[in-house]
Amino acid sequence: MSRREGSLEDPQADSSISPLPHLEAKIRQTHSLARLLTKYAEQLLQEYVQHQGDPFGLPGFSPPRLPVAGLSAPAPGHAGLPAPERLRLDAAALSALPPLLDVVRRHQAELNPRAPRLLRRLEDAARQARALGAAVEAVLAALGAETRGPPVEPAAAAAAAAAAATDAGVFPAKVLGLRVCGLYREWVSRTEGDLGQLVPGGPA
Amino acid sequence: LLLLCVLGAPRAGSGAHTAVISPQDPTLLIGSSLQATCSVHGDPPGATAEGLYWTLNGRRLAPELSRVLNASTLALALANLNGSRQQSGDNLVCHARDGSILAGSCLYVGLPPEKPFNISCWSKNMKDLTCRWTPGAHGETFLHTNYSLKYKLRWYGQDNTCEEYHTVGPHSCHIPKDLALFTPYEIWVEATNRLGSARSDVLTLDILDVVTTDPPPDVHVSRVGGLEDQLSVRWVSPPALKDFLFQAKYQIRYRVEDSVDWKVVDDVSNQTSCRLAGLKPGTVYFVQVRCNPFGIYGSKKAGIWSEWSHPTAASTPRSERPGPGGGACEPRGGEPSSGPVRRELKQFLGWLKKHAYCSNLSFRLYDQWRAWMQKTHKTRNQDEGILPSGRRGTTRGPAR
Repeated sequence: MSRREGSLEDPQADSSISPLPHLEAKIRQTHSLARLLTKYAEQLLQEYVQHQGDPFGLPGFSPPRLPVAGLSAPAPGHAGLPAPERLRLDAAALSALPPLLDVVRRHQAELNPRAPRLLRRLEDAARQARALGAAVEAVLAALGAETRGPPVEPAAAAAAAAAAATDAGVFPAKVLGLRVCGLYREWVSRTEGDLGQLVPGGPA
Repeated sequence: LLLLCVLGAPRAGSGAHTAVISPQDPTLLIGSSLQATCSVHGDPPGATAEGLYWTLNGRRLAPELSRVLNASTLALALANLNGSRQQSGDNLVCHARDGSILAGSCLYVGLPPEKPFNISCWSKNMKDLTCRWTPGAHGETFLHTNYSLKYKLRWYGQDNTCEEYHTVGPHSCHIPKDLALFTPYEIWVEATNRLGSARSDVLTLDILDVVTTDPPPDVHVSRVGGLEDQLSVRWVSPPALKDFLFQAKYQIRYRVEDSVDWKVVDDVSNQTSCRLAGLKPGTVYFVQVRCNPFGIYGSKKAGIWSEWSHPTAASTPRSERPGPGGGACEPRGGEPSSGPVRRELKQFLGWLKKHAYCSNLSFRLYDQWRAWMQKTHKTRNQDEGILPSGRRGTTRGPAR
């Protein structure tokens, strides 16, 4: 038995779930949202590096790429996972991002108080991540797939990140912000790709 | 802990090193020197300082600025530091031989703030207070400098801090409410950054002495019959002050459509209309009006002019005869004129009424005569040689 990855025709789907047109519409809308947020995430990253000064933003700048508390980058094998599992991971990451983005915004409010656009973008990114995460969970529910429970204490992990980064100094705080903005862009882009495979007529 | 994560905790079996820069995030005066060290430690032990190098804001620093202090420590000496390139701090980074980042520290190089000065405040319709100031003599400290506007009642009360900043420019603050009248306030500005603080002189004022208002509303500009060198301007007294006792004075300014030079009509006193004279015929004019509510509740101060009203445009009727330049309100129905010609004419008319029993003479009659003359001016100008050559008209005016 083959099971087409990325297909809406999930034989395990509960037949009492929303009719197909509704599900298709929800997937399209969420995919459009993810596409828009991917663009915003790119703009946020560019704005962020601009305000940290060189070498941030220079080609080849490569600070230690280490895991941020409570969140990691999409795994290399992510694309090979079943669609519901990919979406679950997307939703989990999107729910872990807002408190980390809030931490970065607080740091930047002290480091770059006269960068209102950067601060606004960081605030917007936290809200956008929440919205996209909720939309992805709604798609999962419509697919009849189980959504994972909330990540373990994301706010607490983010608070620990804030305290540690502050104690470590300004440069580590800048690097943390770069890492978080980068992870935000990666996960939003990943979500766009995963939803794109579910859009009828999209790539299988 | 994230500290170790961000700074590069050794990966299992990777043999990666970490480092610590000292001092961490120092604050320095422009022109001062910095001695810094990068101390390496890691797995396997005995990490060497050989091959390490420094960059500052992404640029590699000259090797002669560095020296190996010991096996695991590289020192750096920078002299005569320039002001920080960005407010988040200059990025001083210690690199391993392969270019990987071992540690970073942010330098804050700048100047302490100088005393803010030139505080000016105004109250819009006696409901609030907005102040602005000029930062210290040079302004640029290269460090984030926080400005705080403080105020208190002169004879009693605690210090208050303004909270709404940048309302009319980068160095301004707005106090929206809870202000007392008929009693002086003390107002000052405190500037603070990493290198120190400074405080402005104290400005003492009563809200009533710094009242301004919104621009006069409903400004209308219209032609005066067929008069080709005049426009009539009308406006309304600012309604927000209608319940307060004050003496308004107004100013009008106007300009030709494609000019940047405004002509100002002063001393319009407390009228709400004015006739502009001496304008060019067939020309579009932009007109603005502003108000100064001086003498409010008996204040002896000069008052503060409002902003100019939005420009209102109107055109004078067309004529081939260029009008003289002007810049004053013209009388309506026999009021005194400010132009020399009309002043003399007024005197003449007065004499005529007295000695020639011409009781019907008036400026209104004079204006009507001017309008009639301008309709038939081609012949008149031809007789007087005013028209340029090649433009002689054919109509004839009344015999003189």
